[in-house]
Amino acid sequence: MITFNNLTYTYPNTSHPALRDVTLSLPEGSVALVIGSSGSGKSTLLRCIGGLVPHFSGGTIQGSVLVAGHDPVLDGPTRMSRLVGYVFQDPETQAVMERVEDEIAFGLEQAGIPHAEMRIRVEEVLDLLDLAVLRDRLLESLSGGERQRVAIAAALALRPRVLVLDEPTSQLDPQSAEDVLSALIRLNQDLGLTIILAEHRLERVLPFVDTLIYLDDTQPGALVGLPSTLAAELPLHPPIVAIAKALGWHPTPLTIKAGLVFSRTVARSSSLTQPSARTEQTTAVIDIRGLHISYDKTPALRGVDLAVQPGEVVVLLGRSGSGKSSLLRSLVGLTPAERGQIIMNGQDIRGRETADICRDVAFLPQDPNALLFAETVHEELQITIQNHTGRSKTQQNAPSKIGNHQPDPDRLLKRLGIAALAQRYPRDLSVGERQRVALGAVLIMGAQVLLLDEPTRGLDYRAKQLLADLLVGWRTEGSAILLVTHDVEFAALVATRVVLLARGEIIADGDSSPTLSASPLFAPQAARLFPGTGWLTVEAVLRGIEQG
Amino acid sequence: MVLLALFDGRIVMIKRTLHPIAWIAWLTAACITLSATRNPLHLLIAVLCIAFTALICSPQAGMFRYAPVIILGSAVINLLTARIGATVLVRLPASWPLVNGNLTLESLVFGIVTGLALSGVFAAFTAAHRAIPTRTLLDLLPVAFAPLAVTITIAVAFVPATLRHLRQVREAQAIRGHRLRGLRDWVALLMPLLIGGLDRALQLAEALAARGFPETIGMQKRMPTILIALGLGMLIGGLLIRQWAGHILGWMLLLGGSVLVAIAIWQTGHAAPKTRYRQVPWMPHDSLVLIAALAVVGVFTLPLPFIDPVALLFSPYPSLALPRFNPLIGMATLGLLGPGVFVVIGKQ
Repeated sequence: MITFNNLTYTYPNTSHPALRDVTLSLPEGSVALVIGSSGSGKSTLLRCIGGLVPHFSGGTIQGSVLVAGHDPVLDGPTRMSRLVGYVFQDPETQAVMERVEDEIAFGLEQAGIPHAEMRIRVEEVLDLLDLAVLRDRLLESLSGGERQRVAIAAALALRPRVLVLDEPTSQLDPQSAEDVLSALIRLNQDLGLTIILAEHRLERVLPFVDTLIYLDDTQPGALVGLPSTLAAELPLHPPIVAIAKALGWHPTPLTIKAGLVFSRTVARSSSLTQPSARTEQTTAVIDIRGLHISYDKTPALRGVDLAVQPGEVVVLLGRSGSGKSSLLRSLVGLTPAERGQIIMNGQDIRGRETADICRDVAFLPQDPNALLFAETVHEELQITIQNHTGRSKTQQNAPSKIGNHQPDPDRLLKRLGIAALAQRYPRDLSVGERQRVALGAVLIMGAQVLLLDEPTRGLDYRAKQLLADLLVGWRTEGSAILLVTHDVEFAALVATRVVLLARGEIIADGDSSPTLSASPLFAPQAARLFPGTGWLTVEAVLRGIEQG
Repeated sequence: MVLLALFDGRIVMIKRTLHPIAWIAWLTAACITLSATRNPLHLLIAVLCIAFTALICSPQAGMFRYAPVIILGSAVINLLTARIGATVLVRLPASWPLVNGNLTLESLVFGIVTGLALSGVFAAFTAAHRAIPTRTLLDLLPVAFAPLAVTITIAVAFVPATLRHLRQVREAQAIRGHRLRGLRDWVALLMPLLIGGLDRALQLAEALAARGFPETIGMQKRMPTILIALGLGMLIGGLLIRQWAGHILGWMLLLGGSVLVAIAIWQTGHAAPKTRYRQVPWMPHDSLVLIAALAVVGVFTLPLPFIDPVALLFSPYPSLALPRFNPLIGMATLGLLGPGVFVVIGKQ
């Protein structure tokens, strides 16, 4: 169905090819997962299938790609749209119409499909993706998962033979991601649709795919194979594969069910062995008392009490719409509190400007791109200093302390691991690098309180590990960190304490190990494989087994 | 709104709305009514009819949210700028620039009446906008202009998206310590807004191409391209001539250029036929709403023998007097209740 033959592609104004000598073949009806670190060419490979590369991007292409006998390079994306349905990472950027039904019908209208047939096709995809109840809803009123399913339905309405998805679950909570993946599997099994997708969170997708494609920007070509054989050989793998690899389980289990067969035979200590990282009670740097927030009279938070102390990493978990981001935004004054009190670093934030609060509190929003606009990475940090101090870039070169902290962009960039990128244009960097630049831009004033909203969106395992190391480092130096995430594996890596939110209320608050282990929805893979042990990470599993 | 119907022996719910042409007729009638009279009594009836329709058809829109601001603003502006009227409320010192002199009750009343009319126009547009999706409205264009309709739909949707993005950028900059204190501080927001807007535009263009827009299969591109180039050349030439020579030739070139561009768009759309998913049929109640709207327009604009046009006029100057009321005009204005009545009957 899809054949790449020695395909090499280079973007304009770059010398390094994004894809080098890629050769692979996917039969009809397969479900293939493209993995690789950020910048390895995953999206480029997917875009070649639909003809978006090189038609939109320009650049030079060698070799060939064929999709159902058609050459996307010759045919272009508009013609290929009849064969290839494309779903982008962000469902917001691909929507054209206001309502669900109109959005699904858009492609059919463009293709001139007769009205009667259009009605049938729209009904089909509404049923296939379980969207019938949402048909008259405005797109803006839907959740992320629902919007992504609408995007898939819109792509499917043209009855493509191939469905291409670029990180379709990266912005979704675990339940919504599960819904989208279930829909994809149903489509593959019921219709024999060929599906090819890129995804960073392998633990979600690996059990469902039959072909794994690994791209490495340092190596030409692509590694292609069965997930059960290839997954263990690759540097990027989910915790279950890492555990299997370390303990020598064969064949490599990809699902918890398959892993439990092995894990039950492993001797282990029966108690919660992960030491509590909770700090001694000191003065809370984040102190929230009876916080209520509403949007147009719809309550988002209802009487939340939460205190975070220096040396703690508190992870807020909960479904989309549970109030996590609202809580974080209220701490820097972006969302006003209806009732209650917020005390940051001993000061009530009422009446203070966001810019003033963020002098001592670093807040990294969901989309770090919104923070970046300077010409160079170094300049991004200098602009923050200028905003807070009023000192121009040239004045900043003279050493001067601000409070007890002396802002030093070079030192911070080095610590963030991006010193070599100081003179690069920030928006040209990979997702992980851009995120670290944004972190630098909000942290340069030396804030000891760090708030992060979905910091792992679009990050590969390596970038996530880098971020986790940074957070753990800051925590041990006494910073207080409060972060919101849907990524339970990341939460397991960094959290000292976990708070579960539901419908604007805290429903669980405790040390990470027992809280995460006890949650059927938020338990990481290690906890699911070894229930009752309190092990959350691969490292904890290996240490626990060694001790047991 | 929901109607019940029999389908294959089952009772099913059918989502039905007014035809967009019926809505446009109602909106036109509302606007003509509100601009044709300053008689507060007739104006009040028209505004109440619009309010009824607005509250019934789009209760969530909150279209009268700004009415107090509009009425107050209009009253204050008229009070401060119109110096005529016999009943002096306050006399401002002559040394005050612009607003010195007498502030009169008559100018205050006329300001309130004008504000009432403006609130009615705002509410009517809001109600119609909420009731007719932009796309449905654009579907009134001939099928050959479908690409134009899609382009306008996207452009309209881009405005709220850009406003959302602006808010996001403002927040992001505030997080980095940026304070908005003067006009110059807004400059710092422009660059991220521009970059973000370009990013989104590119992503949307890719998404559209991946969904088959614009359809180019079997299309001859040369003729529309020539027509567009020629049309744009004529438009630019027409503008220049009109600007510097003020010649009729300028107007002719503008007209000719517009026609050529329209032909090019039509050709492009016609070469790759489109179909429409939403086909709203014309129903009897649409006819009733249309007839009611035409009746309202007729009463307010035509010199009908049984209508006294003086009743539409009202001027509080030089001294305030009670307005006249014409029952026939009042009854005809009730025609603006059309869409609201249709919805209420439909619900029952």
